[in-house]
Amino acid sequence: MNARDTILDALRRNRPDPASHPLPPPVMLGDLDAGQARFVAGLRLLGGDLLERAPGEPLAAAIARRFPDARLICSAVPGVDGAVPVQDLPNAQAADPVDVAVVRAAFGIAETGSIFLSEAQLHLNALAHLAQHLVVLLDPAQLTANLHTAYQRPEFRTARYGVLMSGPSATADIQGVLIRGAQGVRSLSVCFDSL
Amino acid sequence: MKDKRIDHAGAAAAFIADAPHLAFHDERLWDMRQKRDAQMHLLPEWQELRTLASQIKEHALANLPDYLEQFEQNATRNGIHVHWARDGAEHNRIVAEILQARGATTLIKSKSMVTEECDMRPYLAARGITVTETDLGERIQQLDDQLPSHIVVPAVHKLTGDVARVFATHYGTDPNADDPRQLAEAQRQAARPVILHADAGMTGANFAVAETGTFVVCTNEGNADLSATVPGVHIATLGIERLVPRMSDLGVFVRMLSRSALGSPITQYTTHFRGPQDGGEMHVILVDNGRSARLGMADFWTSLKCIRCGACMNTCPVYRRSGGLSYGAVYSGPIGAIIDPTFNERKYSTLPFASTLNGSCTNVCPVRIDIHDQLYKWRRVLVDHHQMPFVKREIMHMAGRLMGQPRLYRAAIAGTETALGTLPRFALYNWLNPWGRHRELPHPVKETFHGWYRRNRANDGPGDSGKAGPEQAKDTGR
Repeated sequence: MNARDTILDALRRNRPDPASHPLPPPVMLGDLDAGQARFVAGLRLLGGDLLERAPGEPLAAAIARRFPDARLICSAVPGVDGAVPVQDLPNAQAADPVDVAVVRAAFGIAETGSIFLSEAQLHLNALAHLAQHLVVLLDPAQLTANLHTAYQRPEFRTARYGVLMSGPSATADIQGVLIRGAQGVRSLSVCFDSL
Repeated sequence: MKDKRIDHAGAAAAFIADAPHLAFHDERLWDMRQKRDAQMHLLPEWQELRTLASQIKEHALANLPDYLEQFEQNATRNGIHVHWARDGAEHNRIVAEILQARGATTLIKSKSMVTEECDMRPYLAARGITVTETDLGERIQQLDDQLPSHIVVPAVHKLTGDVARVFATHYGTDPNADDPRQLAEAQRQAARPVILHADAGMTGANFAVAETGTFVVCTNEGNADLSATVPGVHIATLGIERLVPRMSDLGVFVRMLSRSALGSPITQYTTHFRGPQDGGEMHVILVDNGRSARLGMADFWTSLKCIRCGACMNTCPVYRRSGGLSYGAVYSGPIGAIIDPTFNERKYSTLPFASTLNGSCTNVCPVRIDIHDQLYKWRRVLVDHHQMPFVKREIMHMAGRLMGQPRLYRAAIAGTETALGTLPRFALYNWLNPWGRHRELPHPVKETFHGWYRRNRANDGPGDSGKAGPEQAKDTGR
């Protein structure tokens, strides 16, 4: 018998009685506030930040203000002056020199300050991880309250790669000291931008 | 199968002797426990979430063969290659075959407890494949040639100076650098070129969703997403017990995982893989390695509900004061002590005794595993199977006979009080009394309770202990 059938056969022999272990119906628990204030509190708790724009200020100017030393900005959204379109990167490795990547999140989660990115937003998945800093556009209308409501979103059933990013990369593996900016992006800034 | 028993008590004694490491370890883990408590108190629905998580997992385990088939069908439809491995050897062979078929010689990987179980790195190294751990803690442990000492924070038993020493040897950094930031940056700089040039990437998985064929990886450093998205080949190793039925179930588990583990509301990265990226290739290996047999153990199958958060380790007074390495196993702490004996009953026979049975592990477990009850049940199994060291076994036999006979017991107690009061220390504290190695024996008393009772209360009514029924016992609040 092959491995698959051996394992399935052993599980069928050994499992507890399925009738004694019914599946509870899906739940919608907890705070259902999907407001911006809650999102921003969650984002900051996990080390993320807001990128705020003066009225009428172009995104490129706000990015230049936040990252004055950035040499290579790569954008997955159109209309960022001076940015290389992500479509111009031939492969994942080409994203390594990127200082700032600009993307638009499909949605955000107020409970945790998380933003969702998939291949539909990124075009090149590695861009969100090889770049030094990440700027995320988020339509406040696309905020969802918590993880229960988030998992009803259609993106989880269509994306092949879908990441909830909650602040920048972080580690506390050396003597418990929390360090923001571990191996992925060193910072994550959310810029509210209605569509 | 005559593996040597792990000397947990001996290793723990060595750990305790190192005061700075012990103090940090104890405080750091207790801090994680307190942060977990703070998060728990923010969610009024916490206990309901625990109950749901337990029910969903028990349901998934009772229907595991069906959910595995559903997962396989959906994942395959989405373009994922699904493999099955009965044990570690088969898992390692599959990984090597995937890599060799593509001429891959370098593999970057994020943390996966299953690959530790399978002891994969030496197997691949012998076949000319260089494996690089990319998680900081796991990389420190790889370079130092040690098992992870904690399932979430693998190098938690080390101080900054220890990491500086390891990095100085392997990365050529300053051995006196004692700034964690500098050391974390050294890891980032060392890992990046390896990641960029790796032939293949590997991750574990925290959850797998049957209805969509998705697997989910929860991490903080970004290394798992780099490992999965930069190279063209992504291999994910999953224990078969990771399955949940529905996408909506993830809401329950993701809300509790990092809150239980580190006391943060969610991991920095919660990544859902449902198919290969453009131009890429994705493999999932479903690993049994003893799990299907464990499912048939009436007293222990619910240990398969574990979501590997480490909360039981952080709260355990024995784990915090003995360190993960003292367990001599891939899984340490309370959860390790109830699953390790299923891998090797003799080798890990001491681990279920590394507990005070205080029940704290059970109380913090997000999937409501009755860990301390299982610790107790393992002790019974191990005694039945003669897996107790000789002295402990014989002392327990004598105690059992003694306590089963009230008259004999009373005579012995009277004699013991005399002995405690008169015998010299060398006669009381020796190898026949391991209990006394770290403890003072009780002070002798002039009179036993039974003697006092007979003198003062014997004529007041029912009460001779020989006649006392369960009702009386309950009334006295025992």
